[in-house]
Amino acid sequence: MENIQMLLKQGAVGKPCAPVVAVGDKVKRGQLIATPTGLGVNVHSSVSGEVIEITDDRIIIKPDDEQPEDYVKIAKGSNLEMIKEAGVLGQGGAGFPTFIKIYDGKNDKPVLDHGYILVNASECEPGLAHNIQQIDEDPARLLRGIHYIMEIAGADKGIIAIKKKHRETILKLDALLKDDPAIERHLLPDIYPMGEERAVVRECLGIELEPDKLPSAANAVVINSETVYSCVAAIEDQKPLIDKNLTVRGMIKGGSEAHVFENVPVGTSVQALIDRAGGFDEMGYGEIIMGGAFTGKATTLDAPITKATGAILVTRPFRDLKGAKVGILVCACGGNLERMEDLVAKYNGTVAHVCYCKQAQEMPNGTRKCERPGNCPGQVKNNLEFKKAGCEYIIIGNCSDCSNTVMASGPKMGLKVMHMTDLAMMAVGHPLYRTLKVSKKVDQDLDVVDNVEDNETVQ
Amino acid sequence: MSITAETAKQHANDPAVLCCRAEAGTELTPANFEDPAIFPDLVDSGLLNLDGALKLGQVLNGSKLTKTVDSLTPITADIVDKFDAAEGEEEAPAAAEEAAPAEAAAPAAVAAAPAVGGYINLHIGEGKNIDIQIPAGIGGGVAAAPAAAVAAAAPAAAAAPAAEEEGEAVVVREMTRKHYKIDKVVLGDETKIEGTTLYIRKAAAQEGADAQKLVHSLELDVITPDNYHTYTETVMDIQPIATKEDDYELGEGVTRVLDGVVMMVTGITEEGVQVGEFGSSEGYIDENMMWNRPGAVDKGEIIIRAHAVIDNKKNMERPGPIAIHTAVDHVTQEIRNAMKKQLTDEQVVDTQVMRQVRRPGKKKIVIVKEIMGQGAMHDNFLFPTEPVGVLGAKPNVDLGNVPVAANPLEVMDGCIHALTCIGPASKEMSRHYWREPLVYEAIHDDDVDLVGVIFVGSPQANTDKFYVSRRLGQMVESMNVDGAFVTTEGFGNNHVDFTSHIEQIGKRGVPVVGFSFCAVQGALVTGNKYCDAMVDNNKSMSGIENEVLACNTLCHEDAIRGLAMLKAKMAGESIKAPERKYTHAVKESNVELIEKAYGTKMELVDNEQALPMSEKRKAKYD
Repeated sequence: MENIQMLLKQGAVGKPCAPVVAVGDKVKRGQLIATPTGLGVNVHSSVSGEVIEITDDRIIIKPDDEQPEDYVKIAKGSNLEMIKEAGVLGQGGAGFPTFIKIYDGKNDKPVLDHGYILVNASECEPGLAHNIQQIDEDPARLLRGIHYIMEIAGADKGIIAIKKKHRETILKLDALLKDDPAIERHLLPDIYPMGEERAVVRECLGIELEPDKLPSAANAVVINSETVYSCVAAIEDQKPLIDKNLTVRGMIKGGSEAHVFENVPVGTSVQALIDRAGGFDEMGYGEIIMGGAFTGKATTLDAPITKATGAILVTRPFRDLKGAKVGILVCACGGNLERMEDLVAKYNGTVAHVCYCKQAQEMPNGTRKCERPGNCPGQVKNNLEFKKAGCEYIIIGNCSDCSNTVMASGPKMGLKVMHMTDLAMMAVGHPLYRTLKVSKKVDQDLDVVDNVEDNETVQ
Repeated sequence: MSITAETAKQHANDPAVLCCRAEAGTELTPANFEDPAIFPDLVDSGLLNLDGALKLGQVLNGSKLTKTVDSLTPITADIVDKFDAAEGEEEAPAAAEEAAPAEAAAPAAVAAAPAVGGYINLHIGEGKNIDIQIPAGIGGGVAAAPAAAVAAAAPAAAAAPAAEEEGEAVVVREMTRKHYKIDKVVLGDETKIEGTTLYIRKAAAQEGADAQKLVHSLELDVITPDNYHTYTETVMDIQPIATKEDDYELGEGVTRVLDGVVMMVTGITEEGVQVGEFGSSEGYIDENMMWNRPGAVDKGEIIIRAHAVIDNKKNMERPGPIAIHTAVDHVTQEIRNAMKKQLTDEQVVDTQVMRQVRRPGKKKIVIVKEIMGQGAMHDNFLFPTEPVGVLGAKPNVDLGNVPVAANPLEVMDGCIHALTCIGPASKEMSRHYWREPLVYEAIHDDDVDLVGVIFVGSPQANTDKFYVSRRLGQMVESMNVDGAFVTTEGFGNNHVDFTSHIEQIGKRGVPVVGFSFCAVQGALVTGNKYCDAMVDNNKSMSGIENEVLACNTLCHEDAIRGLAMLKAKMAGESIKAPERKYTHAVKESNVELIEKAYGTKMELVDNEQALPMSEKRKAKYD
């Protein structure tokens, strides 16, 4: 078994933790090995073995040949204490510490006032399957978790936001929700993005939050479904967050179907996961993305997964644009400028012009957030700019709605439109993000079939 | 791009076109609509057909879509449940000729819309207004947004210095120009002036060349009016021949100037490559010289041509033109020395007293002149000892192109020795500053108080451009002015800092009017919301850099329009947007409005069409 690399910073936000073990120490699976120095969560070893190296950013553990199923249990305590002790962090993206998100420790009070726990079960990024599979396997556990969190956070109501297309799973949830009046479900359309936290708030509560506002402004907490399960594991099983569910998919031998791996030890390498899925397809591949196709980043084979990693996607090989002029449309839903420039370079294109979606507001920390996720502000002006700059191609990272708008004028102007997710979407067998043929609204009655082909253009 | 309620209101009479896909049942709001400012481009590119489109004002009153339709779909009667009756079609933008204000002095009100993308959309507000065109936004190929002038309050064209008539005006300083007539120039063995004949020592040219390593040769010849059909290499500069009396510095005391003769600098490399970048003005002088422009030769003047040949490849490097100008100045200085020694007051044919006046209580304005400083041959010598001299001057490139302040008399006493060799038609020659029309008109305008002139170089690198631009903004802020002009020469690269200067000044709450050649070929490559008042210096018929020397430079007629525009802006009036494509009509209607408002006739200068057609122009341009 390969060495396990436990990163000292497990989420995208926060500060690196400080190791509490030394090189040469024997550690057991579940043993605490690093603690926060600022914003962060406890890190526990996902394997039993020996610490062989500690660098600035990681602890490297050589696993024993024999690995126990079991783990060192965290101490009993209040539900909140156990979530904190277990090192649970948000598994929907940035990896924000859950115990801070759901409880205001500074003022020792719940973060909400008779508010809402919105469970993000949208599985927003295309091609992923591990969230819904987890719910499908044990929906009752999800509901227990929601109740735990509602109690801690001061919520009266829980809402599970799930895409309407997961009918079988929704039926299982509905059967349980009949007897659970505090929790309901909200059906989402199958478009991107639905899991952006302000989109979840808007869909579930009808409140459109400004980009710089947190869901708490709507008296709500948005929490990923897998995070809820991790809380249940901490509370009921005294289990630290050491194992991770994820989807491996793309240019993998044997086809484009999703490989869902459950309870993968945190710190496992990308290479090990691809091997486990069957190895690379013989056609070759372009890049390996850690995370989703929209918001993930290119990674390397030796990189370890973290508690926040949801997917490993292997894309189709890159096209060669032979130096053609490419315009970049940066929005908040997809890659940032750096990521887009990296893609253009990989495509062997030349960046000729950069535009920003009108709604992609820059936040004080330099990231961008969309003013109205999933609702386009119009794109033709950007296309005119690209055209004027002599672009042959444009690459976009937009949501379903904005991509549709780009397509309404781009090709007619002679711009060849590429979406940053194209090679990943081809590799996972998902339609490319171009035109939008489904409604952005779905009927909350599971049995009502929504209008999916009413996209006429009157001209 | 989706629009705001405010924008929707402004465009109530423009077609309603969805910016994005919208589903049946959607109640239409401004956020559903595309900005009408970009429709013309969309129609041009075949992306949009506005036939039958309802107007924004008709569908924002609770109208709902009855069909799901895609982005760029015009709202037509058949896809909404209801719409308001059309009204106010007569309120569509008033035409420019729609009358100037009744009282002559009132600035015309002009309504400006914010700059959106490539264009600034102007439409006239309330009938008593005028059109202004503003080039904005995006360069390259499409829509060379024209610039044009504005509105109303034009100053009476004053021939006499305003200071003499203006009781309250304060004379800050004055200077005298003594004019000496020359009607014959002879190349000989000695430099001297006898009567009205100027003799130039021929060997002085070779001496000048010998002192410059890069200059292989420098030759003088004299071109008299009957010989204007003489071939010449590209004209690098036109210079007055002038000198200071005694130890006076520029802008003070007495300046002696020779009338009837100018110095013309031309240059090529050994291989015969013209010293010039965007075009060059080589050819027959009578076909390539826009006579009587501020920077050009006046028809009837004798031209002393100093022609230099320099090292190959040095035509595009800074040391080349510097060497040529320095060599030529060796000759000119010898003439200046003769002027100092030999001219007497009995020979003076005309005396001009030039006064710098301030008008306390009037609107304070500053003129910012962007001069080229990209290096290569883009440079200027600032503040030489002699008018348009070399000695004592600092190249603005070496000064880092930072803004430098000058008073109006210094400007008109030759404080700029221009090395710039950008497009000949829009280049400001040294002589241009000597006769700078904007400085002249501003200082003679009783309605404004000209505080001074700032020269700011245009560096090559964008970071440097923004560096100097920020310094300029701060300098203007500290002057506490009510308005500012920003002028530039050439087009393209320098428009980056030109528009940045306007932004830096504009964002400090100071109204700005810009001057540039834009027209068809020189449309701004960049823009911002402060670039909403622009005077286009274009005179050429086709709106291009036609390589006719000084054709498209700032003239009195431009200065007058600019002053009217700035006064309107300072009075809080906004300015109407330009047509999408350059048209002379906007300028013409502005001129007409100014004439009506003041009851004066504006004489407009000729363009290249008044010159004999050159083979080059025939082949390349017209």
